[in-house]
Amino acid sequence: MWQLAPLPNFLLSPLEIATHFLRALGSSEIYEHAWASLGRSLPGFVIGSTLGAALGLAAGTARWFDRLFSPAVFLTYPVPKIVMLPIFMIWFGIGDLSKVLIIALACFYPVFINAYYGVRQTRSILVWSAMNMGASRAQIFRRVVLPSAAPMIFASLRVSLALSFIVMFAAEMINARAGLGYLTRMAENSLRFDEMYVALVAIALLGYAGDRLVRFANRRLLAWQELHA
Amino acid sequence: MRRALPFVFILAAMLVWELAARSGLWSKLLFPSLVNIGNELVLFFMSPERLHEAWVSLYRALGGFALAAVIGVALGMLMGRSRTVAAVLDPFFSGTYAVPKLALFPVFIFVFGIGSLSKVALVFLECLYPIVIMSYQGARSVNKVLLWSAQNMGASRSATLRRVVVPATAPFIFAGFRIAVPVAMIVVVITEMVSSADGLGYLVMYSMSSLRTDRMLAVVVVIALLGWVLDKAVILARDRLIYWEKLDTYYV
Repeated sequence: MWQLAPLPNFLLSPLEIATHFLRALGSSEIYEHAWASLGRSLPGFVIGSTLGAALGLAAGTARWFDRLFSPAVFLTYPVPKIVMLPIFMIWFGIGDLSKVLIIALACFYPVFINAYYGVRQTRSILVWSAMNMGASRAQIFRRVVLPSAAPMIFASLRVSLALSFIVMFAAEMINARAGLGYLTRMAENSLRFDEMYVALVAIALLGYAGDRLVRFANRRLLAWQELHA
Repeated sequence: MRRALPFVFILAAMLVWELAARSGLWSKLLFPSLVNIGNELVLFFMSPERLHEAWVSLYRALGGFALAAVIGVALGMLMGRSRTVAAVLDPFFSGTYAVPKLALFPVFIFVFGIGSLSKVALVFLECLYPIVIMSYQGARSVNKVLLWSAQNMGASRSATLRRVVVPATAPFIFAGFRIAVPVAMIVVVITEMVSSADGLGYLVMYSMSSLRTDRMLAVVVVIALLGWVLDKAVILARDRLIYWEKLDTYYV
């Protein structure tokens, strides 16, 4: 339908998009922009998710830390983290650091919350059995609590990976000198619709590939768990 | 003491902020004093123009969300109850799930214009996914025994849908709503920051360009309040409508 309908010039047919995209793959420009984007989203994703998992596990395990820290997290959870970008730009400069940190901040929340509830949902009977068999606290954490929280942490990694791409794209549209968001914005402003769609397809492919990678890691690492997704 | 612990962290954070603001080590631009931010906050609520900006953002978020709720729940339940529909739509939704829909925004601007419509359309698209996926999951996992009993007692298809499927799916639908509401806020603010002449996202960028960090942070607080209130509204509606099931601990 899309292919056949008569289209205004800002809507390219799928075939045209595909040819433009294949042609762009031959030039180095698209790789540079994609590389710049990944250089922001991946460190942000790794930092945010690691901190989220570590603090979430800590809050789920240690009650005093839970009381101290969790309310602040849940209170700020519904706030769109991207609004902090302007102030991050003042604090950390307009370069990559502020973007990486804002992506990390956005990725922190879903992972923290899932790690927290993953720990809390550990079946007490498993913990009791482990204690009964003389397991130490460290052993219980590593052999019982961690495996039972892992599926939820992985579920949140999928969410935070998607989030890291959204925030990266938004940050680049607002302020950047390279990257796929920047490419889209520039193409839009100069009415280069072919480039706009190339950037769009590139970001879609990256997002899809990242999601597949997380799911693959999930299947590999948590082989004992039946996947419903 | 134990009950006070949650406030300790928040108060300590505020104290550190205020000390940083007063120390004079950094410019006022970096750490505006909490007093200034509070002043701006009061000004915000007293100025009809700024309240109007909040209203603009709110109706964009709610408009897109409401559309996504109506269409998403219908689609998700259809997918859950009909294998054919699921076979057609499931690959589409799970395949495009991880793709940042925000990338479509420039296209939307050309299709729907730079006004509210392009933003509402993007909010709709981003909210559709969690709502469809959750209601699909809910409608698919209706307890078979309940369905069989209803059929056994001679319930018609529409009665089964109304009395068994919808109530059984409702908790999942609301779980989807709770994911979608913050998403709606995120998308509205981002789109307004990227391209707009009104709304709270625009106000953030505008205050930032005029180097009024205190005003900007006041707007951030307003956005936070709005997100928080919307989230609480969903919980309230949920507890009213699904009185038979207590809120699962998920997302408190």
